[in-house]
Amino acid sequence: MPLLELAGITKDYRLGKTFVHALRGLDLTIEQGEIVALMGPSGSGKSTLMHILGALDTPTSGTAAFDGQSLQQLSENQLVTLRGRKVGFVFQTFNLVPTLSAQKNVELPMIFLGVPKRKRAARAKELLTKVGLADRIRHKPNELSGGERQRVAIARALANNPEIILADEPTGNLDTETGGTILELLRRLSVDDGRTVVLVTHDPEAVRIAGRVIRLRDGRTVEETANA
Amino acid sequence: MLRDFLVLAGSSILHRKIRSWLTVIGVFIGITAVVALISVGLGLERTITDEVAKVFGVDTFVLAPRGSFGAARTSEGSNQYALDLEWLRTLDGVLTAAAVRQRTAFVQGQPGPEGRLAQGFLPVMGLSPELITSFSSFVGSLEVEPGGRLFQEADSVVAVLGREVATRLRVDVGQTIVIAGDADKPELTFTVVGILATADDGRPQQGFTSGMPASATTIYIPYDTMESLWGAAQDVLVTLVRTAPGRDVDEVANRAQAELRARGSRVTAITYSDISSAIGTVTSTVSAFLAGIAGISLLVGGVGVMNTMFTSVLERTKEIGIMKAVGAKNSHILSIFVIESGMMGLVGGIVGTLLGLGLSAVASAIIGRMFDVRIAVVASPVLITATLGGSFLLGAVAGLWPARRASKLPVVDALRYE
Ligand SMILES: Nc1ncnc2c1ncn2[C@@H]1O[C@H](COP(=O)(O)OP(=O)(O)OP(=O)(O)O)[C@@H](O)[C@H]1O
Ligand SMILES: [Mg+2]
Repeated sequence: MPLLELAGITKDYRLGKTFVHALRGLDLTIEQGEIVALMGPSGSGKSTLMHILGALDTPTSGTAAFDGQSLQQLSENQLVTLRGRKVGFVFQTFNLVPTLSAQKNVELPMIFLGVPKRKRAARAKELLTKVGLADRIRHKPNELSGGERQRVAIARALANNPEIILADEPTGNLDTETGGTILELLRRLSVDDGRTVVLVTHDPEAVRIAGRVIRLRDGRTVEETANA
Repeated sequence: MLRDFLVLAGSSILHRKIRSWLTVIGVFIGITAVVALISVGLGLERTITDEVAKVFGVDTFVLAPRGSFGAARTSEGSNQYALDLEWLRTLDGVLTAAAVRQRTAFVQGQPGPEGRLAQGFLPVMGLSPELITSFSSFVGSLEVEPGGRLFQEADSVVAVLGREVATRLRVDVGQTIVIAGDADKPELTFTVVGILATADDGRPQQGFTSGMPASATTIYIPYDTMESLWGAAQDVLVTLVRTAPGRDVDEVANRAQAELRARGSRVTAITYSDISSAIGTVTSTVSAFLAGIAGISLLVGGVGVMNTMFTSVLERTKEIGIMKAVGAKNSHILSIFVIESGMMGLVGGIVGTLLGLGLSAVASAIIGRMFDVRIAVVASPVLITATLGGSFLLGAVAGLWPARRASKLPVVDALRYE
């Protein structure tokens, strides 16, 4: 059974009287443990698709199933639990809480799952060390560089040991070396732990770790290639 | 998890220090006013009841004319009543009793320089000697001028005069006055044994008789002697009854009232607990009224919290989206925001309670200075607990609506908010 299965997905945004068709009939199947790269020009619907994959948003039409479970049938609270336990999201714009330190930001998903304080703090420090921010755990987001914020966002996505990591341009703000470390981290998650990774990217380095590359244009899949 | 929500809410409050403080100020002004007013009210009540307890003692009750006390106060009816004092003294549970009766009588004094007799109609009061021996707290310290004395239980045809009346009748200690009673009774010649001293400031002494004809113009004679002039008492103003040790005052008082009424005395028994509850009713009505007015400012404070919370929700729309994206349920968001607004209310409550108690202490001191009494400062634990709980609730309720709005925001829309 595939981990994620999307069929005939459309997403329309309504702007006054006109509609923006962000996705126009998209089919996508993602297997457990694979790394998929999503590519496409700006405005092609990559972020929109990621939100639907991560159960943050609902499609206008079409069906989405996670682990064989249809998302339309889940209540709002069940969707929250699914997001909290199984999905790690790295947003294109990081979306860190500005009033909280790096460590607290990473702890946030664990707080809502009810992980005890000690365990939470230890896990947050471990993850921040992994992304190379051991000496930045007390910093607030506005005291961090763009690349550092991105790495905090990645650490937060990994906090609850999610089954799938959805990363919207995770290396977009990073230099080649740091970007390389992050990509290696994501690759190891897939290869060693069997986690599934979907990443939106324009970075050829990132494409290299992907098993599959999907190109979007105007809300449709235009090309799908298997990487060597 | 609650602790984490407290931390999350607290960090948000601290993040906008000035606005939070302004909001808190809005709350604590109201709380200060309410706490101060209620505390002063409680202090006054405590002071008055303490004073009453000092005079009254818990083992004593008063027989007043019926209808002169409490809700059933009536204007009709005499303010004097019939009484068989001897019978009352034998009632079960009664230790001692003393009464005051009053008449206006034709009184003759000593002749003046031209040989004309000083005479006139004057108030005559019959006092049980027990008033002075057993109920001195009611009478206060009655002082006589040097050379005189108050009458005792063995005395019968003696009188103590107010200063003014003594001057008018031209009598001194040791001289006599003549008081005429009912037509069928003989006149009696009283020996003056004492003249009441006036206080330093020239006013007649205050005491049990205050509120009745000023003591300086009254002639006091023993209660029992009144009977020789006017017969059995139909003209009693007030009776004081002390109950035997260990007896239930209210029970004895109720029984005395019932039996006396059955015997034709139009009396109402008033015990310490009647008086203190009457005082309590008055003072708590007054302080509830004042606190109600002050409560309006609390309402304003609550609206302030609500306003701040709406702004906070708006500002943190994105943050709400983030929290929901990483696994926060609507109920989690609701709790965080309600805790946040409740905490602002609580801080306002703490500051307001402290300031209110301080203010009431200052106010009590000022009122005390003005009326020359020591007013008790009351820090009621019930009031404090209720205020702190109430202020948290005020904040929480004010935050509920904004918080619900916050929790209902769709995730993606909230995330997109800039
Ligand atoms: N909330 C919205 N309301 C209206 N239109 C929207 C909304 N969100 C996205 N769109 C539109 O949908 C289209 C797809 O947007 P999306 O963010 O998915 O693009 P993207 O592929 O992620 O682009 P980029 O590479 O620039 O991040 C865009 O044309 C965008 O204008
Ligand atoms: Mg995008």
